[in-house]
Amino acid sequence: MKTQGSRLPRWLRSEHPFPWLFPVTSLLIVFGLYPVLYSLWLSFYKRNPATRKETFLPSHNWSKLISDDRVWDAVQVTFSYACIALILQLVLGMLIALLLDSDKKGFGILRALMTLPLVVPPAVTGMMFLLMYDSSFGVISNALYSLNLLSPDAPILGTGSTALWGVIIADVWQWTPFMVLIMLAGLRALPKEPFEAASIDGATAVQSFFHLTLPMMSKIIALAVLIRGIDLFRVYDYVKVMTDSGPGTATETLTAYAGTVYFKSANFAYASTVALATLILVLVTATLFIKIFKVRF
Amino acid sequence: MASVKISNLKKEYGPVQVLHSLDLEVADGDFVVLLGPSGCGKSTLLRMIAGLEPITAGDVFFDDRRVNDIHAKDRNIAMVFQNYALYAHMSVRKNMAFSMRLKKIDKKIIDEKVEWAASILGLEPYLDRLPKELSGGQRQRVAMGRAIVRDPDVFLFDEPLSNLDAKLRVQMRTEIKDLHQRLKTTTVYVTHDQIEAMTMADEVVIMRDGVIEQAGSPMDIYDNPGNLFVAQFIGSPGMNIVECQVSEANGKLCATKGDLQLPLPSNANVINGQTIYYGIRPEHLQATRQASLAASDSNDKSITGVVRVVEPTGPEIHIYSKLDNQDVCSISRDRVLWAPGEDIHFIPDVEHVHLFDGDTKLAI
Repeated sequence: MKTQGSRLPRWLRSEHPFPWLFPVTSLLIVFGLYPVLYSLWLSFYKRNPATRKETFLPSHNWSKLISDDRVWDAVQVTFSYACIALILQLVLGMLIALLLDSDKKGFGILRALMTLPLVVPPAVTGMMFLLMYDSSFGVISNALYSLNLLSPDAPILGTGSTALWGVIIADVWQWTPFMVLIMLAGLRALPKEPFEAASIDGATAVQSFFHLTLPMMSKIIALAVLIRGIDLFRVYDYVKVMTDSGPGTATETLTAYAGTVYFKSANFAYASTVALATLILVLVTATLFIKIFKVRF
Repeated sequence: MASVKISNLKKEYGPVQVLHSLDLEVADGDFVVLLGPSGCGKSTLLRMIAGLEPITAGDVFFDDRRVNDIHAKDRNIAMVFQNYALYAHMSVRKNMAFSMRLKKIDKKIIDEKVEWAASILGLEPYLDRLPKELSGGQRQRVAMGRAIVRDPDVFLFDEPLSNLDAKLRVQMRTEIKDLHQRLKTTTVYVTHDQIEAMTMADEVVIMRDGVIEQAGSPMDIYDNPGNLFVAQFIGSPGMNIVECQVSEANGKLCATKGDLQLPLPSNANVINGQTIYYGIRPEHLQATRQASLAASDSNDKSITGVVRVVEPTGPEIHIYSKLDNQDVCSISRDRVLWAPGEDIHFIPDVEHVHLFDGDTKLAI
């Protein structure tokens, strides 16, 4: 008797991996590899804004990148943004996870509620905070004015010294729950006995946290830092929606700068170079992090 | 070192009562084993002594100090857990030094104590290894090392040998007993393995369903079980138990079940017609092939069964037989070959028969 399988075309009955890997490989090539290679190819061309013609000059964009002060400013902003947001998310994530790590009644609902910010699109979050920061009717601004922590003369997103913090807080609001989820999963998977042994050994809760919880969670923490770190390095939505890199270039990250060069100056070649530089920076930083902290996947 | 006194101790999880008004005294320097089947509450009791489990009612005293409201870290106890509970990211040395580091003891003294514990437990070559690089027995020794460097008032062991293989278990049993003989620290040890309890304890406390059934020296409990549960629980192979009626035959009282007639001890405090449980340990049930010998030695009728399974253990042979539809085990030290299906006659050692009341199940 013929089975249904034998009626399938021969290539679908193949035990060779290629037919099965073909769809996903082709998608990766078209949407992943090709754009990167195309960017690389573009970065070797010099664009003439007057003639709108491009000439092959491999070193032009890369040497321009090195000497471009705006790039170095953007690198600094990107690092500041990523580091501050990461530290805040990590510390808050761990603290909230420690608070929610309980089997008491109601904590399950609290844990579920924690995930709500994650389902809001980042651009919407940006808009939401933009409104809340508004100097005339924004709830956050008004609260800060009434506490005399801020003056209406210096709106949060309109002042160089506070604008980056304004954007970071939106990012922290949205992404701390992600850290909470990862930390909670880690905390809940920790064995109970070493903590009991430590309490018998004379450890206080704080000592147990630093001597046991943190070292036992180190791999999970490192993984969470890596995932969030990469994400933070390529931040675009919040900056674009909330400040559009301003005031001046106070909140201009590398991706925001690449976007500006691409969409405003239409210098595709140089924009590709900045984007590639961002990619290289992320790869190098992530690789160093993986090597130093021995992250295992 | 300290004595431990438990007074009217209760534990409830919601509506479920796990421990029912327990009273127990552990003398200073004693090795007490809490023994009972799974779920009897022995680990809960140990954890309450440790301060890891809240007390519903009653008191725990260390000497005259009431410790109910004292945190585990301030009770000066040391505990060895079933799965060792080692700090996986710390070396053996750091595992053992942890409690002293927390107390900010001088590093030189810490090193001396760790070296001392390591030498007692044979752990010197492994001090810089991580727990994952050690065998089960070595990990168990690290857990014990971590406990002894503390110089605690009370040692608590929660089924520490149950994850080890049979040979290692025997070895570690000896090591723990040897350690106790050297350190003389008050010890409370939880196990469900009655061999462990018998071999190690100064006093065995047998628990069932949150109640202490009997407490006493191992041999006393073995020889004089207070009730049917203890009689069945202690001993391996377990005591043979037959539910019988007391009746009169040939002018003498004996225990009968169907055609089976079992002789009673001369001083048995029973009355004709009483329902009893007749218990005899396998080593007190002599097996013989000669029916006449069995009859003349014990009673008018011989006790005859059929051999079912024979288990030679080396020093002795365990013979499992069917006796009036009842499984019976006897132990023989003679190297007599028994075959399944063969008739077997028994001579009970009447002076070692245990009788239990049919209703209360208490020893008569």
